[in-house]
Amino acid sequence: MWWLKDVWVIDPSQKLSASRDVLVKGGKVLEISASMMEEEVSAIAQGESVEVINGKGKYLFPGLIDVHTHLREPGQEDKEDILSGSRAAVRGGFTTILAMANTQPVIDSRALIEFVRMQGERAGYAHVHPIGTVTKGMQGIELVEMANMKEGGAAAFSDDGKNIQNAEVMRLALEYAKLTGLLIISHCEDKDLAGEGQMRRGVASARMGLKGIPASAESVIVARDLLLAEETKGKLHLAHISTVESVDLIRRAKARGVDVTAEVNPHHLIFCDEQLGITETVLKVNPPLGSRADREALIEGLCDGTIDMIATDHAPHTQAEKARPFPEAPFGIASLETALSAVWQHLVVPGRISMDRVIEAWSVSPAQRFELQGGSLVPGAPADLVLFDPDFTEVIEPATLVSKGRNTPFLNETLQGFPVMVWVDGRLVQRNRILL
Amino acid sequence: MKWQRKDILGLEDMSVEDIRHILHTAKVMKEILMRPIKKLPTLKGKSVVNVFYEASTRTRTSFEMAAKVLGADTTSIAIAQSSVSKGESLYDTAKTIQAMRADLVILRHSSSGSAKFLADILDPGVINAGDGQHEHPTQALLDIFTMEEKLGALDGKNVVIVGDVLHSRVARSNAWGLQKLGVNVTLVGPPTLLPVEMEGLGVKMTHDLNGALPGADVVMALRLQLERQKSGLFPSLREYSQLYGLTTERLKKTGKESIVLHPGPMNRGVEISDDVADGVQALIEKQVTNGVAIRMALIYLLIGGSGNVVA
Repeated sequence: MWWLKDVWVIDPSQKLSASRDVLVKGGKVLEISASMMEEEVSAIAQGESVEVINGKGKYLFPGLIDVHTHLREPGQEDKEDILSGSRAAVRGGFTTILAMANTQPVIDSRALIEFVRMQGERAGYAHVHPIGTVTKGMQGIELVEMANMKEGGAAAFSDDGKNIQNAEVMRLALEYAKLTGLLIISHCEDKDLAGEGQMRRGVASARMGLKGIPASAESVIVARDLLLAEETKGKLHLAHISTVESVDLIRRAKARGVDVTAEVNPHHLIFCDEQLGITETVLKVNPPLGSRADREALIEGLCDGTIDMIATDHAPHTQAEKARPFPEAPFGIASLETALSAVWQHLVVPGRISMDRVIEAWSVSPAQRFELQGGSLVPGAPADLVLFDPDFTEVIEPATLVSKGRNTPFLNETLQGFPVMVWVDGRLVQRNRILL
Repeated sequence: MKWQRKDILGLEDMSVEDIRHILHTAKVMKEILMRPIKKLPTLKGKSVVNVFYEASTRTRTSFEMAAKVLGADTTSIAIAQSSVSKGESLYDTAKTIQAMRADLVILRHSSSGSAKFLADILDPGVINAGDGQHEHPTQALLDIFTMEEKLGALDGKNVVIVGDVLHSRVARSNAWGLQKLGVNVTLVGPPTLLPVEMEGLGVKMTHDLNGALPGADVVMALRLQLERQKSGLFPSLREYSQLYGLTTERLKKTGKESIVLHPGPMNRGVEISDDVADGVQALIEKQVTNGVAIRMALIYLLIGGSGNVVA
């Protein structure tokens, strides 16, 4: 049993942001109150040993839920596997992660869904929920057996990594998924507009002679999918939104009552295209880093609720793959272990966004929208918890990262503000940055 | 001045002083090149490796000639016969070349940024012989050398660069280099090949060649990659040539005895007509000769020892 004393509790699900004492027992949040006496606590403990944690100056919040990770298993275990990815997750403050389906083979059947789910359970760190593809073989042509895959544990459907280029297939997916109540997650990227692009099309791409991906490659599909969701009354979630035009389209669609949510990746909130050097493949990501105006619009959209969630789009790659000339390196940033710290340091500390909103967007909203465990500390809730120390500093080094992906822009930098204790179902899995 | 650079990667980040020092050195090199017996012992015992991932005749030969005149040993790695076709990465190829104790590596590669990528890995110097659509510094330097040879100081002169600017490393390097020397540069091409984001190069842009020509001291035609038509970037060679082809008639609009440059190889009848290509205003062969001199200068400056200053 745990007694966290004088800790700043952030739980937007009950509009709580205050100093509290918290008791955790039997895998659940037992009680949250202004302060507790030792006699009270020992009475509750009924003989069970109580570890007292001085929470002063630290934050306690529901474990983060990341609805967008690439764990690469099965098939690309040199980049990551479900064990290493779920270890990286709890090190980074995530107690639940959703695994994208673009593995090898792609997760397009119940058998594969169950494999990913079982591997997550065997790993025993974060809760791992598989996302199934929308179409067989991720070919964008025929729908998968959605109902069957839901029974196997699919948390959502997405051909992420690839756009569903055929609008009729997308429309049908939104219709058919109603059988399951699960979301279709759209990777909005028009294949023809994106072409062979390597970074956002703009002054920086023109200067470096790198082929550009216009902002419209995303926004035209956002517009299309919003219209299709509106027409079908389907449930849509938009992955990794990165342009000012997309934010505007989503804002207007929500005002019309379209059943849509959207996520933004930390790197799009922190970096922009003009910061990108011609050999900096670590910042090569899809969708590509946008302009300053995009970054501002994303922060604004996240603050005002147009964008519902933060998600990492954790995309680990091997060092050899990233050690290539820019056009030949794969897209993606590995971020499970650094994302929360980076958001804290680059957005919360400078006052761009409140920590309460960060927790709402990274825990409460994902839990509610995807109907997952977590996202709340109400008494009786499973104890998926993070104790966050804003003063803890760490140099991001290959030796300490537990993810196989070292493709983080923060490598060899010092970040401040880290999860120092993480519980999954009341079991402590990380303490002082070391996995247990 | 003291020469500090290990590599020649592009003109965007090169100082005016460095550019002038290279041009000055190239002038001396050209004199050597024009001698009947053109062989120096200066770089005896030094090895220069040409690594060409893209087909190239003139640039590779030019570098080889330049190195040989200076007495260096040269080796060429062409992609088809090398282990690259067995899937070896540029990183590993680079390490292999370094292990063979090359003193200088010349790289031509289809990926923008590949030259800097290589330079960051290697101890020996790297000369960028064209990296994707990014930069082709030796081409721009030889163009500038050729212009100066004919026109004198370039400050205040007007240079029009016409063609597929978007995909042209030659245009980018020239735009950076010429601006630094005080030249008024105008880029010309259809909107699909000269999109608005090219304004980041900081020079004038127009889609109207006829309007850009008056007062031009230099007109540089870029090579049009014919396969761009298939990507829909322009509707036909016929229309392209009508709008942007250099003809004798059109050249008169400059109102001057302008010089005409082309980085080669030319598509005669597309971006340049036969009579212009073979006419007195075209300095295309001079460009080739000067290319050897410029490359001699760069090789000398990078591996010629501590002095690095020719009398």
